[in-house]
Amino acid sequence: MRMLDRKLVRELWRLRAQVFSIALLVAAGVATLVLGVATYQSLFETREAYYDRSRFADVFAQASRAPEHALGAIERIPGVAMAESRIVDRAILDLEDMIEPGSAQLVSVPDHGEPLLNTLYMRAGALPDPTQPDQVVVNEGFARVHGLDLGDSFGAILNGQRRDLRIVGIALSPEFIYSLAPGALMPDDRRFAIVWMSRRALAAAFDLEGAFSSVTARLLPGALEADVIDRIDDILASYGGLGAHGRDGQQSNVFLDAELQQLQGSSAVLPPIFLFIAAFLVNLTLSRLIALEREQIGLMKALGYSSLAVAWHYLKFVLAIGAIGVIIGFGAGSWLGRELANLYSQYFHFPYLIFRVDTSVYLLAATATMAAASLGAAKAVWGVVRLSPSVAMQPAAPPRYRRGFATGLASRFSQATVMIIRNIVRWPLRAVFTMLGMALAVSVLVASMFAYDAIDHMIDLTYYKAERQDASIVLNLPRPEGALFDIERLPGIMAAEPVRAIPVELANGHLTRRVAIDGRHRDATLSQLVDEDGRWVPLPETGLVLSDWLARTLELQVGDLARMQTLDGRAITAEIPVTAIVRSYVGSAVYMDLGELNRIMGDGPLIGGANIRLDPTLENELFARIKQSPAIVGVSLQSLAREALRETMDENILLMTGVFAILASIIAFGVIYNSARIQLSERGRELASLRVLGFTKAEVSWILLAELALLTLLALPVGWLIGFGLAAAMAIGFETELFRIPLIVERSTYAMASLIVLAAALGSALIVRRRVGRLDLIEVLKTRE
Amino acid sequence: MGAIFRIEGITKVYRTGDVEVHALRGVDLKIEAGEFLVLLGPSGSGKSTLVNIVGALDAPTEGRIYFGDDELTGRNDAALTRFRRNHVGFVFQFYNLVPSLTARENVALVTEIAPNPMEPGEALELAGLDVSRHDHFPAQLSGGEQQRVAIARAIAKRPEVLLCDEPTGALDSKTGVRVLEALDTVNSELGTTTLVITHNVSIGGMAHRVIQFGDGRVTDIRTNAKRIRPSEISW
Ligand SMILES: Nc1ncnc2c1ncn2[C@@H]1O[C@H](COP(=O)(O)OP(=O)(O)O)[C@@H](O)[C@H]1O
Ligand SMILES: [Mg+2]
Repeated sequence: MRMLDRKLVRELWRLRAQVFSIALLVAAGVATLVLGVATYQSLFETREAYYDRSRFADVFAQASRAPEHALGAIERIPGVAMAESRIVDRAILDLEDMIEPGSAQLVSVPDHGEPLLNTLYMRAGALPDPTQPDQVVVNEGFARVHGLDLGDSFGAILNGQRRDLRIVGIALSPEFIYSLAPGALMPDDRRFAIVWMSRRALAAAFDLEGAFSSVTARLLPGALEADVIDRIDDILASYGGLGAHGRDGQQSNVFLDAELQQLQGSSAVLPPIFLFIAAFLVNLTLSRLIALEREQIGLMKALGYSSLAVAWHYLKFVLAIGAIGVIIGFGAGSWLGRELANLYSQYFHFPYLIFRVDTSVYLLAATATMAAASLGAAKAVWGVVRLSPSVAMQPAAPPRYRRGFATGLASRFSQATVMIIRNIVRWPLRAVFTMLGMALAVSVLVASMFAYDAIDHMIDLTYYKAERQDASIVLNLPRPEGALFDIERLPGIMAAEPVRAIPVELANGHLTRRVAIDGRHRDATLSQLVDEDGRWVPLPETGLVLSDWLARTLELQVGDLARMQTLDGRAITAEIPVTAIVRSYVGSAVYMDLGELNRIMGDGPLIGGANIRLDPTLENELFARIKQSPAIVGVSLQSLAREALRETMDENILLMTGVFAILASIIAFGVIYNSARIQLSERGRELASLRVLGFTKAEVSWILLAELALLTLLALPVGWLIGFGLAAAMAIGFETELFRIPLIVERSTYAMASLIVLAAALGSALIVRRRVGRLDLIEVLKTRE
Repeated sequence: MGAIFRIEGITKVYRTGDVEVHALRGVDLKIEAGEFLVLLGPSGSGKSTLVNIVGALDAPTEGRIYFGDDELTGRNDAALTRFRRNHVGFVFQFYNLVPSLTARENVALVTEIAPNPMEPGEALELAGLDVSRHDHFPAQLSGGEQQRVAIARAIAKRPEVLLCDEPTGALDSKTGVRVLEALDTVNSELGTTTLVITHNVSIGGMAHRVIQFGDGRVTDIRTNAKRIRPSEISW
């Protein structure tokens, strides 16, 4: 079949513009899948490898003061592979470049040798010398934000004592991939540091010689985590144990999980849809392209080629186009995937990246597109091969147009317009598919761009409608309600509302979740409950208010009883009815009336902090006072939290969807350009005849392009509708414990998607219009009847 | 010489939607091996339909057709393809060359799949195409040259029968005569049974027999006592 192969190569070259644009369509679909999966898989694998190599613990527990021999008891628990004790506590930081106080988590490292578990990945320097109590290692994020380097010092208040700590090392830790201050929703490297000090130095500072306040353990494969946790709780109960937990209660891990889950959401929902749409469009385009080959197919059959040989020839033709697309897609997808994974691994503070993609992804992408392309070709080739060669070699019989409703129009419109309408009515299916192709292009754009609006809405609702305070103050321990007056008397405080957060395990049957119950006054207005539209919702007098996400996770409804147990060592239990469910996009909040919460806690009317409104002009004075006030351990500014949320969203979602939006634009252009080109080929003879009859180029172009324009306009609303559906699927894919993306598609998104598609249509129209000018009139006069 | 084709009671009805066209209304014909036949008749009288059926490009609605002793009617697609590949050469009014292949390659397209073909170059020479044009693409050839490529392609497989549907229909007198000369050469030198459809009554002069068509039937068969040479024809 040498001649046929030669024909194949030459035709691929002749149709190169179309071949390339169809290949690009394939490539966009394939690349999206590959890059989405590659990014997620690589980051997932990197985390696993990092956790493994640094011996990240499986179980974590805290106590107030446990004697060292308790560690032996923990090590002997069946299922525990190794355990390590340490001292963990908190400090207030006094940093030169910050007016407000920062805070730090202090973590001890062994006096001799490296930590057994949760080993540090040293970016610079070394572990502290136990004979030099002021030597510390800090986490890289903190050092970077403050421009701190080896040898630099910063002030810290440890157990009421001010010290100057000197940095001897900068490190990454699997435990603090994300460093979140207790109770914070977002990581904040500016105001929160991880500080590693020698065990001896910390023991001296917190009077914990011969004792520990934290233990972490790694389990044997197959060990039952829940059993180990129970046993550790038993052992630590008499030493002020705060309840052991697994990785699912480890803040950094939970946060990373959520981030990976969101990444998976954006890479699991959209790419398969992209691939499907690309495959559909390739199928559509190729089947029309092959249908144009009708006469050549008839000729080859007349010359004695079997139907199978002819079909195989065209199959090779589309497989070649598919292969070009798949190769471009693999290349672009792998490259983009690697770049994105690299970016994300920096966001995630991974020390290194393991780039890995399952070959099955490549296989899936290639098979799906090749199958779609082949089916498209097979459908068309088979339609022609079935005809007797004598029929196939003639141009298709003139279609029988119906006069129908266009008859009435004829008097009012030009002949050209009537031709356009009749053409659509004559091939309704083809018109519908062309329209659908463009609608899908619109829809993938809508789906990849909606997150921008949704995140705006999420931030608006969270920070401007619900959490409207300027800052929150956290006290070092619960204090009587009178402490509120002390807070109000601080400089610059215009309003203060008391709050108290109690960490609990909330349960419904076997479903459990560790959350903090947020107690507040019913008439609080700084931080308030709102519904989906941002309207105020009153806090019920009794019972729990759950965020919708938590309610769904625990399968609780209004009127159900939720079991709670405090995680503060007192293990107070209560059954509380759910009295309301509110919309919340960030965290998994639970609210309750402060008085009621205090009654359950049974320790009197206490507060744990306050939400405040600030006079910005007095901010500096306030922060200076807070730095000196031992009762206040933290201040969090809403503006910073808002920025942190925005940044996290940009990193997690917008980066990925931005890439998708570009690929969607390529798809849009590919579809429309090919529709126009094929339309021109299909009707070239007819249009050239019109030119011969004296129609101007403009009139002929109008006949061709007006139809396309009409279909494009019809495609827009259909695309919006499908796009909304895809956006809904993505919103579900993005859902995590930490954030939910509301399903809100602004008109501007629809408009933008439409604009991109219209631009693609206009560009294609201009290219096709140039070709109308070059229609070969002589050829038309010479051939056929 | 025995009959190479026996056509018995062939009818052909085309159905497009609710319209029925009776293209052939009952044709009986015997074609002798090595014969040069010219089919004349008004447009739409069924000439092409008959030739397409003889060449197995189409199947009759009723009737039988024999190639030697083998019946062609009722055979499956694979058998008809084999028949076309091994025994029949076609020349169409509009040449139907593959535009992406050169003259030589268009011929090779057929010789590759034929059991006992000539060299493409030999066939092109026999059809009268200048050697300098053998590697040109169809778009670079005149209509007459393209038609000679089509003839070369049709004869390169040494077919028993050559079917030509208005081979000079799109050509002027001078180039048309050269195409007719090529057909005459093939018929006399290779002994290929040749059927030529034409509108042009004067072409009938070079045939052994002239078959006259009208309204889907053979209305007259005339045997030429003396054949004229193609160079004596003009239009
Ligand atoms: N594929 C077809 N479908 C429908 N009608 C056809 C088809 N081919 C030929 N016809 C009709 O059959 C009749 C005979 O056609 P044809 O054999 O081409 O005549 P001729 O070659 O003598 O001009 C004509 O009326 C023509 O319109
Ligand atoms: Mg005809």
